[in-house]
Amino acid sequence: MLQSYLRLAIKVLFRRKVFTAISLFGIGFTLLVLTVAVAVLDHVFAPRPPEVRQDRTLLVVFIDMTGGRSHSRGPGGYALFDRYARGIPGVERLSIATLPWGAYSYPGGRRVKSYLRRTDADFWRILSFDFLEGAPFSDQDVEAASPVAVINETTRRRFFGDENAVGRDIEVDGQHFRVAGVVRDVPMLRIVPFADVWVPMTAAKSDAYRSQLRGECIALLLARDRSSFSAIQDEFRSRMTRVEFPDSRFDKIVAVPETFFASVSREFFGSRGDPESHPGRLTALLVTLALLFMLLPTLNLVNLNVSRILERAPEIGVRKAFGASSLTLVGQFIVENVVLTLVGGLLAFGASSFVLRALNASGLVPYAQFQLNPRIFVYGLVLAAVFGVLSGVYPAWRMSRLNPVQALKGATR
Amino acid sequence: MIRHLLRLAWNRKGANLLVTAEIFVSFLVLFAVVALGVYYVDNYSQPLGFSYQNVWRIAIEGRPLRGDGRASGDDDAVRAAAGSRMRELVATLGEFSEIVSVAAADPVPYTDSRRSSSYERQGRNVRYRELEATDSFLDVMGLTITRGRWFGREDDALPGSAAVITERLAREVFGDADPLGQNLAEETDSEGRPIPPIRVVGVISEFRQDGEYAGSEGFVVTRARLEDPEASGIGNFLVKVRPGAGADLEARMAARLQSVAPDWSFKVESLAALRDSQNGLRLAPVLAVGTIAAFLLLMVALGLTGVLWQSVTQRTKEIGLRRAKGASARGIHVQILGEVLVMTTMALLLGVIVVVQLPLLSLVTGLSAPVYAASLAISVVSIYVLTVACGYYPSRLATRLTPAEALHYE
Repeated sequence: MLQSYLRLAIKVLFRRKVFTAISLFGIGFTLLVLTVAVAVLDHVFAPRPPEVRQDRTLLVVFIDMTGGRSHSRGPGGYALFDRYARGIPGVERLSIATLPWGAYSYPGGRRVKSYLRRTDADFWRILSFDFLEGAPFSDQDVEAASPVAVINETTRRRFFGDENAVGRDIEVDGQHFRVAGVVRDVPMLRIVPFADVWVPMTAAKSDAYRSQLRGECIALLLARDRSSFSAIQDEFRSRMTRVEFPDSRFDKIVAVPETFFASVSREFFGSRGDPESHPGRLTALLVTLALLFMLLPTLNLVNLNVSRILERAPEIGVRKAFGASSLTLVGQFIVENVVLTLVGGLLAFGASSFVLRALNASGLVPYAQFQLNPRIFVYGLVLAAVFGVLSGVYPAWRMSRLNPVQALKGATR
Repeated sequence: MIRHLLRLAWNRKGANLLVTAEIFVSFLVLFAVVALGVYYVDNYSQPLGFSYQNVWRIAIEGRPLRGDGRASGDDDAVRAAAGSRMRELVATLGEFSEIVSVAAADPVPYTDSRRSSSYERQGRNVRYRELEATDSFLDVMGLTITRGRWFGREDDALPGSAAVITERLAREVFGDADPLGQNLAEETDSEGRPIPPIRVVGVISEFRQDGEYAGSEGFVVTRARLEDPEASGIGNFLVKVRPGAGADLEARMAARLQSVAPDWSFKVESLAALRDSQNGLRLAPVLAVGTIAAFLLLMVALGLTGVLWQSVTQRTKEIGLRRAKGASARGIHVQILGEVLVMTTMALLLGVIVVVQLPLLSLVTGLSAPVYAASLAISVVSIYVLTVACGYYPSRLATRLTPAEALHYE
């Protein structure tokens, strides 16, 4: 039966080509926008190198430090993580890294902006960077505060052209470093690993960072497995209650190790000092936005469908007269509509690769590598099916209600 | 005629309701985008209040943060040392022949850093944006003084901090009274803490820190002295350079400053470059949303044309009958377009009612009444133009039928 529905759906598609084209334009455009949005989200959130262990990594990004009237919110301080986050059961590795910040260099009189990030040796073990030459800096380098740096491909090109860089000197932010390794570029939207130049934490110009509770650092906790997440979170929370505050204005810190998605959700909803994670809120927001965006295209397609169904009144009259139930007709029409939206979805998937390529080429987002993958294709299919059902239900219901006698007469209301 | 059209529309209410709903939603989408566009265009046409050409900003980084949880006992000594170092750096910058003048300020234009205050004044909540700057800020930024004077050494001995406010803030706070010599914040801030008096010594025409596309807000520039311990937290120098200075001067400046303060970091950027990136960040989402909205409206236009076309085809008999009874082609034309106009008007009535509620219920703030009204007018007219354009071809199609053809249908 599904087969005959499908055959009918194809027939209907080709019956009035102008209308089919108008419908497909609307469907294709709608799904194009949604596919591009999914690709961007996938680019930001989905696991991909160097974050190959993302599924068992927890992060502490922003913390809230409060007391009386004082409130300080931002990245954590090195001292907080160094003193209180080490040795939590279930955590295989802990890395402390600053957030990247822009710094200038002037090689050969040109001005080059690079994002610089200080970190430790475990950073390179939690994240799997793709080294083009050299190697990451080691625990000994960090301990000895050696002036060494790992740079990305683009930085190597800017400073050294096409030549090898390992062992050469690079000046960034007024400091000299010896290049230890070169990695492939990481997109800027991958906030956790991104930088142009990575240097040891200890290479900071002053050691003021060593005593900061609130500062410029994030912590990466590599858990043994996902099931230990909640135990790690509980242990971390209880350790936060034992923090000693040298500055009497503060007496409380709220910080939670959570997944990257949950910490973005936290920032998005600005939930100050909320000890719980609410990743569901961001999901709900994204779904709501997608549905809101689909509202107008859905209305548009419903209108087109309703007027096209009335054109088929005689056919429906015949089918009803021969005993087809309303439910059968509703099913048939929804199948037809879903076929139409899937065709539109395929067109959109093809077109979105051009849009994404244009976005990459535009340089709007540094090192962006927006691209399609099977995961996005599956999301696209789901979105197309949802859109097809949404815009098919009402017209199908209208169709099934047609009075067979009037329908056979060709009545149009 | 209109009553007749209304009845015709009512008779087909099932189909028309959905079309009306579609026009209604299109109107809301269009209004949102148009309002954003009009807001930006309006802002862009207003004076900025300062000039960014040949002004460079030097961001000072790597100093201890305020409130980073370290022992507060160190603070006074740390701040005193930082303050004297700031003075040393200003003197260093003064040695460059390419630099016309140097000021310290925080925050500076075209950055994400913002400072604002609010307090109760005579039962009214007054909000304003602010920055603190040293005396040469006037020359560096090329501000225009409209009343009173700029602050300077003569304010050293006077109590409180001297400040210059914008004409907009003067109007908001003091109305027609003379703001000169008055205190800006009188008692306490919104959390009940006492505010040290801010003495108004002059008025400047305007100052829009966020740049051309941001709306105007009341602004205060308070006087900072690098001799005061509080001023050690100022995070930027602004320098006015001679035209033509380039990356070479940037490099020399950064290196010189670094040698004076080896444990701090310095970032030299021109305000023009900051302006480009800030405005780009502001415009990119608007352009993206605008493009998507334009395609949505194109989709709606095509869809509406299709629906009207279909409805004309289905009503061949009705139209044929009218032609046979002597209706002119023009009459049919007017009837079809009239029906479209009835639906559009219904949708727009509803749409305008909804849109007008938003500022009344304070759901939308920050858009001035003229901007709101202009956006409303543009959106209403555009939707009418759009729907009539969509109805035009189908209604021509209807008039092309001769009565004989039309009645022949069955």
